[in-house]
Amino acid sequence: MKTIKLFPLELGRLLKSRLTWLVILLTVLAPASGLVLYQPATASTMLSVYLANPAIAGGVAGGILFGLLTVYELDRSSRSRVNVLTDTTVSPLVMALVHLWALMAVSLLTLGLTMLVWLPVSAGMIGSVFDGSNYLLAYILLMGLALPLSILAAAAAYQFTGRADLSLVLFAAFAGLSLTVWAENWQLCWLNPCVWALSDDFSNLRIFRSVAYMRLTWLMALGGVWGISYLCVRQYGKGIIGSLAVGVRRIYRPAVALLLLICSGIAYAAQPMVDHSNPDQTVMTFSEVPYAEEVVCTGRSAKVYPDTEAGAVSGRAAYQFQNTSGEEQTVDFGINPGYTVSSVEANGEEVPFSVSSYQEYNEAMLEATIPAGEQVELVVEYSGFPRENSNTSVLQGSVEISETYLCLQNADLSPRLINVMPDEGMYPTTIEITLPSSMTVIPFGSSKAKSLGENEDGTITWQYEDNGTGGILYAGDYVMENIEAAGMEIEFYYGRKHQSVMEAAGAVEAVKAVAEYCTEHYGSLSFTNGGTLELVQSRVSGGGYATDGASLLDEADFTASNLGNGSKGAAAGEVMIHELVHQWWGLGNMFDTSDSTSAWSAEGLTVYTTYRIVKELYGESYAQEHYIDQWQQAVDDYYQDFYVRHPEYLEMLPEDQQLEITGNLSYVRQYCEMPLKILKAEQLAGGEEAMDQILKGLFNRELDPAYPYLTYQEFLDACGLTEEELNLD
Amino acid sequence: MIKIFQYECRRLLWNKFFLGFLLVLLFYGWQVLNRVTILGVSHTAPFSSWSFGDYLSRMLPLLWIGTLFFLTFFTSGKARRVTILTDAAPMSRRRYALARSAAALVGTGMVSLACLAEAAVFYVRYFGFVRLELLLPALVILPPALVFALGSGWLLGRYRGWMLYIWMLAPILCMFLPLPDCLGIWNGSFFHQYPLMLGTLDPAFSLPWSILFVQGILLFLGIGLLLVCPQKLPFSTKTSPLYDTLSCGGGYDAKKDSSDRR
Repeated sequence: MKTIKLFPLELGRLLKSRLTWLVILLTVLAPASGLVLYQPATASTMLSVYLANPAIAGGVAGGILFGLLTVYELDRSSRSRVNVLTDTTVSPLVMALVHLWALMAVSLLTLGLTMLVWLPVSAGMIGSVFDGSNYLLAYILLMGLALPLSILAAAAAYQFTGRADLSLVLFAAFAGLSLTVWAENWQLCWLNPCVWALSDDFSNLRIFRSVAYMRLTWLMALGGVWGISYLCVRQYGKGIIGSLAVGVRRIYRPAVALLLLICSGIAYAAQPMVDHSNPDQTVMTFSEVPYAEEVVCTGRSAKVYPDTEAGAVSGRAAYQFQNTSGEEQTVDFGINPGYTVSSVEANGEEVPFSVSSYQEYNEAMLEATIPAGEQVELVVEYSGFPRENSNTSVLQGSVEISETYLCLQNADLSPRLINVMPDEGMYPTTIEITLPSSMTVIPFGSSKAKSLGENEDGTITWQYEDNGTGGILYAGDYVMENIEAAGMEIEFYYGRKHQSVMEAAGAVEAVKAVAEYCTEHYGSLSFTNGGTLELVQSRVSGGGYATDGASLLDEADFTASNLGNGSKGAAAGEVMIHELVHQWWGLGNMFDTSDSTSAWSAEGLTVYTTYRIVKELYGESYAQEHYIDQWQQAVDDYYQDFYVRHPEYLEMLPEDQQLEITGNLSYVRQYCEMPLKILKAEQLAGGEEAMDQILKGLFNRELDPAYPYLTYQEFLDACGLTEEELNLD
Repeated sequence: MIKIFQYECRRLLWNKFFLGFLLVLLFYGWQVLNRVTILGVSHTAPFSSWSFGDYLSRMLPLLWIGTLFFLTFFTSGKARRVTILTDAAPMSRRRYALARSAAALVGTGMVSLACLAEAAVFYVRYFGFVRLELLLPALVILPPALVFALGSGWLLGRYRGWMLYIWMLAPILCMFLPLPDCLGIWNGSFFHQYPLMLGTLDPAFSLPWSILFVQGILLFLGIGLLLVCPQKLPFSTKTSPLYDTLSCGGGYDAKKDSSDRR
């Protein structure tokens, strides 16, 4: 009761202090530093630049200021040497609580003021893609929660040490770690959340959930630490041990603190956001699993029910097998590590199954036993919150599931069959997915989804046929534009909110230019779905991919901020160019991907062709600066790296550090070294026109059905060069 | 003089702040070594002078803050209140000031040595050896910066104690500001850029004249201020809330001090 009575008095006193108002003012102004000085979100979307960066910077500066204010306020009575008097009037424990609540209230007030001040500024800067819910969530999660965390940390430091100087050092080191060495660990960076991008056109719930989870973990941890420090508040003239002995007499106090610490520990260890994929990305054990003998898959189907409010998925996948071996067989599936398999039934009867704790490439392995019967239908029921790959945990946000956007890739959609051969080379697949009526379903590939009708709850069930063990599905508030280019029909899907930017950026013209360039230089494409190419805009993801008849376009390819970038022209679109070129190199012509460490892959020719298109579109100097110079820099960096030159020292390090250092091995070799070699081949073969003729010949060569891949040797032979001649100096 | 020096050393080094600071420093240092230094900078080995220099420049803000906190032992409200007694004591004011400066230097040296020792433990643990040539970057980075921190801290603390706390933010600000090349040690950019400019792999540690000049100036300025400023005690009697707030140093036990002098 005393705490409640004293709280308004303390809050009033705090609000009469000029220093408090200085801290409030500086915190309100702090988001401005995110526009110029501190910009951790690197994506070029408007919300990243004008919302995420200011909010994170505001949180960092505000957090530090509130930490200092906390130490200042807690030390007030000791500094003024009146603590002996105040302690006799009010229990120091009560005062510690009153101080905490008053500071928390001031931080809340500050957040409210900051949001009011920055609302019109942000709305003006962000323009047509401004969204109130994104604004609220960004300021509350990215900035607001940094303030109570700082208050708790600083107050705990003071209550433990009883000294302002030591608590300031502790707080400085704690904040410094978050800003430097912990900055790229999404769970540890308590002050500056790991947010690299916010989407303009689609929702950002997944990344906000991740930040909220991190904040919650730290709130519990610092709450627990504060709780323990609360027991150490000096009372009865005793030191830390004596005060602690008095404090723990009321058993609920240490119990609550310990409970919070245990909860935070569990929350840290059992986080649901990212998986535990093998950090060694050259290892692909799932693809090396031997095929089940005399078992074929004759078809599969899945019914998928995304929960767009919770960001979760539930589903029921059915697989038809022919088991002619006459005995039980084990079939393996890759499944998102966030999913729980509730049951596996074969021909209506439960069969034993297990999900591996080992994970790689964002998949765990589900192993189930099928009976000896010839016709077996295996039904897997699964549900849960999909996790993202831990190797890209700093780029979270790709598994977005909301009412405006959804992306489910392979094992996120339904268990991916690993070790069963198809019947006659086909895995006939039927997918049904139930989504809110506002969403358009786009299977990524040659399939087309059709509506099966509206359900009673207002949702629509969509169905499409596919072929394969995996599959990717996009859904959202999309508009579609038909483009005719180089004899191809292109279905161009992009977010409704992005329409004005796409038109201003001339995205359609850019797509046409790429398609016409590739067709003219290499030849026409043929698609399984009758000459239609699908181009789908994804939520900002920092990259893309392509499959037969479909390529991805990153939201960041065409942004409002790119429109003003004179060096690139109005349209940048380089991810779009790259992924569209993959229709020629990688899909039109296939490459053997069995050796992931090999420098020769579809990426080499695709990156080289992207460079040639960019050179034609944006000029030679732009292409030189953004392509050749960057490849050269990356290759130089790689070969000059100390551990690459001296692997004997690498072996001295712990395994996780070895993997971190060698992680980008295949990336540099495929995306930078090989394009440089192809460029060298171009010079040796007689220039760009000669290389175009060589590539055209390779693209249109007669394929060997037994091994239809384009090999490095074929490329060298076509150029009339040897491997040694293309070695880089 | 020696007795006073020993007394001030004991006051600086045998208290909760020093021990607590040391623990925080070592934890921070271990994080830097394990997550950043181990990768090596600018294609050099993690045990190269360049990587070690990068480690030290990352530790510099915390060392700077700790050094200035040592000064608050002499500029705090408590210390200020007993200057009337210490001034009345029958001893040379210059010698008393020098003893205090020396004690602050010892404190700073101790925490710096702790940083170096921690790095040595790290290198021995992972690579099985530690190289003596690492002393060179340590000598170029730490003494100029920390002696300058002490000297400038004395100067600021003499006028307004709270200015020490503002001054603590200087190296943190440096990390965010685009500094000229000659101040590259202060934001760490020197150790990332200069080895690449030398054009050879694993270049031997060397410093451009501009850096040596700036570090030399800082060192001499720091020494000069250290020799001059402490003698200008007593400190300003003007106080401010912030000054009183944060100046809680090691405290100055007047009773103990006067009994010592008796």
